[in-house]
Amino acid sequence: MQNIKSKRNFYKSFFNFFFLIFIYCNPTFALENKSQSIENNIKINDNWRTVLNKASGETIFFHAWGGAKNINSYIKWASKEVMQRYNIKVNHVKISDTSNVVARILSEKTAGKHENGAVDLIWINGENFSFMQKHKLLFKDNWIMNLPETNNMDFTSNPSLLNDFGVPTNGMEMPWGVSQLNFYYDSKYLKYPPKSAIELKKYIINNKGRFTFPQPPDFVGTSFLKQVLIELIEDKSILKSTYVKDRHEDLLTPLWAWLNDVTPFLWRKGINYPTNYMSLTQLVADREIDIGMAFNIAHASNAISEGRLPKTIRGYIHKKGTLANVHFLSIPYNSSKKAASQVFINFLISPEAQIRKQNKDIWGDPSVLSMNKMLPEWKNKFKNLSKGIATLSNEELQLKLEEPHPSWVKVIESKWIEKFGSSK
Amino acid sequence: MKIKYYNRLLKFILCLFALIILSPTFIGFLGVLFPAFGYFPALGGNYFSLNFFNDLFLIPGIKKSLLLSLFTGFFSTLLALFFSQLILLYIFNTKIFYYLKIIISPLVALPHITMAVGLLFLLSPSGFIVRALSPRLTGYDRPPDFYLIPDEFGLSLILGLVLKEIPFFLLTSISALEQFPAKKLFNVGKSLQHSNFSTWCLIIFPNLYNKIRLVIFIVIAFTSSVIDMALVLSPSTPSTLSIRILQFYQSTEINSIFIASNLALVQVIIIIILMLIWKLIEMIIKNDYFFLFSIKFLPRKNYFLEKYLFSLAVFLIFLSILGIINSFFWGIGNNWYFPNVYPETYTLNHIISFFNENKAIIFNSLSIALIVSILSIFIIIIWIESCDYLSINKPYLEFLIFIPLFIPQISLLIGLQTFLIKVGFQNYLASLIFIEILYVIPYCLILLGPALRGINKDFVSIGASLGKTRIQILFLIKIPLIVSTLLTSFAIGIIISLSLYTPVYFIGAGRITTLTVETLNLATSGLREDLGVATVFQIIIPIFILLIVAYLNKKFTKWIF
Repeated sequence: MQNIKSKRNFYKSFFNFFFLIFIYCNPTFALENKSQSIENNIKINDNWRTVLNKASGETIFFHAWGGAKNINSYIKWASKEVMQRYNIKVNHVKISDTSNVVARILSEKTAGKHENGAVDLIWINGENFSFMQKHKLLFKDNWIMNLPETNNMDFTSNPSLLNDFGVPTNGMEMPWGVSQLNFYYDSKYLKYPPKSAIELKKYIINNKGRFTFPQPPDFVGTSFLKQVLIELIEDKSILKSTYVKDRHEDLLTPLWAWLNDVTPFLWRKGINYPTNYMSLTQLVADREIDIGMAFNIAHASNAISEGRLPKTIRGYIHKKGTLANVHFLSIPYNSSKKAASQVFINFLISPEAQIRKQNKDIWGDPSVLSMNKMLPEWKNKFKNLSKGIATLSNEELQLKLEEPHPSWVKVIESKWIEKFGSSK
Repeated sequence: MKIKYYNRLLKFILCLFALIILSPTFIGFLGVLFPAFGYFPALGGNYFSLNFFNDLFLIPGIKKSLLLSLFTGFFSTLLALFFSQLILLYIFNTKIFYYLKIIISPLVALPHITMAVGLLFLLSPSGFIVRALSPRLTGYDRPPDFYLIPDEFGLSLILGLVLKEIPFFLLTSISALEQFPAKKLFNVGKSLQHSNFSTWCLIIFPNLYNKIRLVIFIVIAFTSSVIDMALVLSPSTPSTLSIRILQFYQSTEINSIFIASNLALVQVIIIIILMLIWKLIEMIIKNDYFFLFSIKFLPRKNYFLEKYLFSLAVFLIFLSILGIINSFFWGIGNNWYFPNVYPETYTLNHIISFFNENKAIIFNSLSIALIVSILSIFIIIIWIESCDYLSINKPYLEFLIFIPLFIPQISLLIGLQTFLIKVGFQNYLASLIFIEILYVIPYCLILLGPALRGINKDFVSIGASLGKTRIQILFLIKIPLIVSTLLTSFAIGIIISLSLYTPVYFIGAGRITTLTVETLNLATSGLREDLGVATVFQIIIPIFILLIVAYLNKKFTKWIF
């Protein structure tokens, strides 16, 4: 009898031991309890205090594109900070395409799941946002105005913060960063990069197999197509209206003609395309292609400082300017942890988090805050930030093109897939 | 009376058990079948219809995707089988044969994605081979513009699959060879003046084939629906059917879930077609006339086959090892530009930072694998023991366990995922473990089943005559006797679980990620340094597990009969 009992105890302690290891090592189960909110700079109003109280102890699932290590590390850092300060646990769900997440939320809505949705926070812009807005998948209007740190933004002199691809956001998504399509090349081998769609076409035809773009529907790939379209189209203002098939189909002809001429001369004859802008970086580093592109203006500098690109890389944009847009953070309507999501967003747009994001050695994504609205100490810090060798200056980036209406995106994508993305 | 009642109860429990194990397969299949015919009320499909089948061929590029899947599935299985037999027949009578198992075990343990990445590093225009020859021999001061990998016809995907399946076929063939007096038969053939090759074709292979037939069909089903490898190695405009399904599944449009389910059903049909083709070939080869023909016309001495094809097979294995070594270098290199054969600088930073960022993921993968493997072994032992107790001996029951391997993973999992969302089941970990068990049990059973059944009955009856109960016999006699096989199948269970991609992707739904999923994320982003590091971990962990098992084996094996 005695023997059996001691054996049972042994097994019990054995299992307890493993269980403890499991809990200890696995952050999903971690029972950390350091809830010290260190919030000095801003006076907290009562509403916000209740949000903070509600948020403490919650776990949120942040669905954000996870293809870049530096961005992942940044999100990891931010998660750690909010864990310490507000006792909020952020799980970064690394996705490859935001539209999958949107599809998931939509299927939850159609299945009648209006609470406890799988997604608490989403990194989004453009057609995904307009899709969610159209299907009423987003948290209420103007919630972004309730966050204390929103005070550092200047919406009047920078209306792009409230417009996503020309669609008014109605305060349903929080600006997180600014991006502009930019190109880079190795100055050691290439003296004069082609600075317009027409020049680029000549360049591609003369340099067989040395240019490519990420395969649409990748974000950067589609944006590149939009860039070419804008440069080729005569009346750009049409692009701001909703796409109507009967009226606008012919307007796309110059784009398809351009691609028809160019595709046989692309890298791998246009039979294969890289998956995203990160793979372009690798191809430029290998010198398989001559020109890379990215939406993050510090991408090339960042890659140089990580030892992925040679130091002779330089950036440029097209003469007529390039597409520029803002990327946002938003909360789905069926998230049950809206408080925690808001607190996390509030942290992400604080000067502290934004300056770290703008640092080229960390991420290099420009801040959305207004210099005039920040406290002087932060203003100085932002001014002293170095921008990196391959990053263009604000003056050079001045020519910005506006995004076409989101309805054009789906058309361009699906037409491209039909014409070029599913060979014969 | 009482015993009869007890038996009936046990039978009932066994049935229930089987039902629970098989329910995901069933549900998954229904979950894909209904939407395939347009029925999915939550998304507005209230009626069954054949519309999606009619629209099937309107999807741009779908015909090529279908052909790609058929082509890669068939040829990769055929070639892998061919080369594995070639290697075996050449070294069967040599000393290397005894070491073969050790050489190939790590290769079997390697996840598919690692092999794909290794190939990518080797063969791409900026890869190791071109670098090694440039610029001295080729004159390239920058990578040439040819597309060797991934190519338009899926040849590199076939190469990758062949490389991965050769070791698998070798391993299963070796254990099959142990089940019949292969040595004697081989010597008989040789004494009749046959060459290694003709002996193998005429005498050994027909015996061997029946024993590995099941494995071949599993490989067919797997290779024609593979996802992780295809994402890296298949052409992208358009890709294989499995990738197309994935793309539709991920699309924002509501209709795409119907299309995805529809295609998933087509994927099942493709596998059935491939198996029928294989069966047809079997019938031709089994034909008496064919046999007579081959006896007459198979050359008894054929240096070409013996030497050149064998060196080709060895070259293939060498290629896979080289690819892996190369990925190691990417893991520790910095500033490595074309055409440098070696990195300019070396650093451990990539590895350290990867480990720090993914500690949780590595731990998750390991603990899930451990739980899954333990549970699988438990289930198998209980299953076999109770079947033995009730003297149920029906092979088709066991076939049920293998069903999940014959249905393409993507078809089954899309169905299951749809079901889970519908029901609103939230425990991702539990469902993932449950599903992984489905995929791990068959492999463990292949190893453990014969061992447990093959135990000399005399030991058992001696134990019983000494008044030991069944459970005591199991723990005191049976398990100690098969401890080495038990540990090996335990390790295989862990390794299979670690290498699963599709189940984690669908069931884990981003909430739970494992190292394999993370590696694939990095593979598509194309950053070789990170990819190299992830690969390092994917190689080290399985090898580490195999080493532990080898050590434990030595320690625990007391008697061998």
